[in-house]
Amino acid sequence: MKNTIRVERAILNITQADLAEKVKVSRQTINAIESNKYVPSTVLSLKISRVFQKNLEDIFILEDTD
Amino acid sequence: MLTKFLLPNRLKAVGWIIAIPAFILMILNLQFGFTFPFLDYEVKGLKNISFDNGFLFNIQYNNFTDEFGGVLLIIGLLLITFSKEKDEDEMISKLRLESLLWAVFINSVLIILSIILFYSELFLKIMAYNICTTLILFIIRFNLTIYFERKKINKDNL
Repeated sequence: MKNTIRVERAILNITQADLAEKVKVSRQTINAIESNKYVPSTVLSLKISRVFQKNLEDIFILEDTD
Repeated sequence: MLTKFLLPNRLKAVGWIIAIPAFILMILNLQFGFTFPFLDYEVKGLKNISFDNGFLFNIQYNNFTDEFGGVLLIIGLLLITFSKEKDEDEMISKLRLESLLWAVFINSVLIILSIILFYSELFLKIMAYNICTTLILFIIRFNLTIYFERKKINKDNL
């Protein structure tokens, strides 16, 4: 699974720490999601997409290998 | 999606305070036969000594240093193991689960090797250590993982 969190963050101009605080997780978690090392739970994905005010599938994209 | 059975973060420090002295006590006890005299227990007016009564209410003589240290050590290690991190979240829960899986797996491999390689008293001693090795392996692995995750963050932000 890919995601566009880094791009979306750049658009809103917020840091990983800011995003982490908004969705109430640690900075490590946001960092790991951005570098595709951790797949977030559905609840966390929905929270993240709400911060960016986009649909879930605009931010998280399934890959062929999934 | 947080685990329900975790203890508050401050109990982690309490765990370390209990576990470290208990660990040293157990090493001294197992390796050098160290005991506290005030934990000696002996039934008064013993006529014959029997060795086959292993249950608490039947024992005729025992020093309770190892029981005392062992219970404290396990309580301390449990507090460290099952206290929340300051920033506990779903990824840390996942790392926790992975570390626990890893610890049980490695510990089982070590037990299998000890069963094959070691015999008699040495084996019994290893089994005594084995009482707490799963928890110790877990604590080492979990804390290292978390440490590297945090270090990576600090590097990224520089």
